[in-house]
Amino acid sequence: MLPWQRGVHVYDVPFFSLPFLIFLALTLIGLGLSVLRAFGGLGFTGMSDAYAWGIWKTFNVMTLTALGSGGFAIGIAAWIFKWERLHLVMRTALLTSFVFYFAGLLALTVDVGRPWNMWHLLFPSHWNPESSLLEVAVCMPLYAMIFLAYENLPPLWERLYVHASDGIRRAMRSVFPVLKWLYPFFVAGAYVLPAMHQSSLGALLLLSGDKLHPLWQSQMLPLLYVIQAGVAGTACVMVTLMAGCLVWRRRLDLTTLGDLGKLMGYISLLFLALRWGDIIARGQLGAAFTSDGFSVLFHVENLSVLVPTLFMLQPKQRRRPRVLFLSAVTAMLGAMMYRFIPTTIAFVPGELKFYFPSALEVLMSAGYVSLTIVLYTAAVKLFAIVPASLEEWYEAVAWARENFRTIRVDSHGKATRD
Amino acid sequence: MSLNRRDALRVLSQGAAGTATLAACGTAQASAKNRPIAPDRDAVGMLYDATICTGCKACVSACTSANGLVPDTVLSNGLWQMPQDLNAQTKNIIKLARGEDTAETSYVKRQCMHCLEPACVSGCPFGALMKRGTDGVVTWDADRCIGCRYCEVACPFEVPKFEWANFNPRIVKCELCSHRLADGGQPACTEVCPTHAVIFGTRSDLLAEAKARIERSPGRYFEDRVYGEKDGGGTQVLYLSGLPFANLGLPTLGEESVAAYGSKVHSVVYKWLALPLTLYVFLTAIIKRRFDSHEDHAQNKAKQTGLPSQL
Repeated sequence: MLPWQRGVHVYDVPFFSLPFLIFLALTLIGLGLSVLRAFGGLGFTGMSDAYAWGIWKTFNVMTLTALGSGGFAIGIAAWIFKWERLHLVMRTALLTSFVFYFAGLLALTVDVGRPWNMWHLLFPSHWNPESSLLEVAVCMPLYAMIFLAYENLPPLWERLYVHASDGIRRAMRSVFPVLKWLYPFFVAGAYVLPAMHQSSLGALLLLSGDKLHPLWQSQMLPLLYVIQAGVAGTACVMVTLMAGCLVWRRRLDLTTLGDLGKLMGYISLLFLALRWGDIIARGQLGAAFTSDGFSVLFHVENLSVLVPTLFMLQPKQRRRPRVLFLSAVTAMLGAMMYRFIPTTIAFVPGELKFYFPSALEVLMSAGYVSLTIVLYTAAVKLFAIVPASLEEWYEAVAWARENFRTIRVDSHGKATRD
Repeated sequence: MSLNRRDALRVLSQGAAGTATLAACGTAQASAKNRPIAPDRDAVGMLYDATICTGCKACVSACTSANGLVPDTVLSNGLWQMPQDLNAQTKNIIKLARGEDTAETSYVKRQCMHCLEPACVSGCPFGALMKRGTDGVVTWDADRCIGCRYCEVACPFEVPKFEWANFNPRIVKCELCSHRLADGGQPACTEVCPTHAVIFGTRSDLLAEAKARIERSPGRYFEDRVYGEKDGGGTQVLYLSGLPFANLGLPTLGEESVAAYGSKVHSVVYKWLALPLTLYVFLTAIIKRRFDSHEDHAQNKAKQTGLPSQL
């Protein structure tokens, strides 16, 4: 079986497929409601003074930006730990990261009650440096809109170059060395910033004090959150890649996917060691083995990370597509649970209240999730993102020759314009 | 500046972490600047004695009119003020509490506690909630609040309330009638209280008064102690009660404030951004090297295969 060699467009499928249109419709509904929300406050949501944070923050931001940490985790493995093969999936990782962060930031903007005061963000003298939320508010847009966006430039640049006129091409060629020289500076920032805000997401919960169940409340939350982001991000990239191969009938590269599985296993192992070490160090082992719902939740959450890890640490299991996929999905769900539970189920305010999102709230949340799918599927059809074998590359080149008469593609895939 | 006990503790803990004493003093000063802690002699507050309160609720209506709030009449079909709890229309409330095993009841007054180290102020991203340096009152600034509601998540007493249905929503909580204090007056609730169950004064005076009452009537007050002296790092509103404080709805908190617990790691990691910046420089150096070799490799491969390299 040929391993993946380079990113290739998803080209032989209709752009507006039926699932795409469904997700697009959901996105538009979500965005439409978001616009209406600006005129009507937050009274229509299920949130209350006791549960002041609803699913937009706890799911769309807390949970889904963890899934969007693939570019962060795999990037560190590829660039810093020289895991060369993982460079092949970096485009996918960076794109998933960008779409999750983009949708998360949108959800945050809608969730904020007094958005017109957000301009304070631009003036460091107005910041409260002690606030973890400030750290998230500054760091997250900075990362997604500048550093992560920059990392995502190459596929866009390639496509632009193919379609550009000669004059623009000359300009692009003269700018290119500068952009390339700057790239490492952006890459480095793209690892420092997520380390900061993913840990700060955990630090947010420290101030909730005793309202958070002791199985989750810990000074280790920031560290655990950033490590769990690595598990979630890597698992999400695996799921995205494999689902993409399935849907668009691409060949799987089990060596590269196995590498991702191995990476996920290592990070999960580190996470579990710290998680259990922390529980034991804080003397909460007893709370983990009671018969109440929280300890059940705790074990479900832990096992959904542990079981895939046990599989992913065996080279033989990493060669089996089914095991790879199921492990990635399970670990992803486990990681999502670790992000979602502390802000919702294990968050017990003194005032006896119950939070369940309202229908409109869910619809808007679904809209932001659909937005990530729409952006991702649109991008892979426009840009060379999803990894494929050389054979598939040449097939794509032949297809392009056939279908784009205005663009001349030589036998190697170098494109010129008539 | 005068160091209070909590600052001293923070200095000690940081000293133990290996910081030089001098640097530790600097740290204490820096965090005091971030979270101004009014010294005891200037801090003002209230003392509420639940054993004296008759539950007349004069303070509730006085608070409503002094703060220009619309009375909450939901439960009374629009007839009279009848809030169920603190909410976006109610900054101060009298509730009836019952003991665990006894039929004994007690009134309890709830409003902002004006913590010495408020969690809401610690978490507020742009300093909309501020602890005033002069008297330690925790105030809210509409021009700085982005409506994130982190204060509601953070407050251990669940005091700040949010105007959910308003398109221009405000955070509503007791600000100790700071507009009346500015005119040299006192909060509306303490002014109208007919039995002096709630009184206004400096925190140190109130604490002394509370302790004197305990001394005068041993056994009258639960655990013979003042709630808020040390609870949650100390509050500027103090409570005396015959029933257990937990029954009055006052949470059982340790002596460490939530704010101190929450900012322990943060204050070290983000001090002058030294750690993130060092990490950035270090990573840039590594990645620059890796990037160059990666690019060389990619260019060679591109020459071999004739395919343009992809980053």
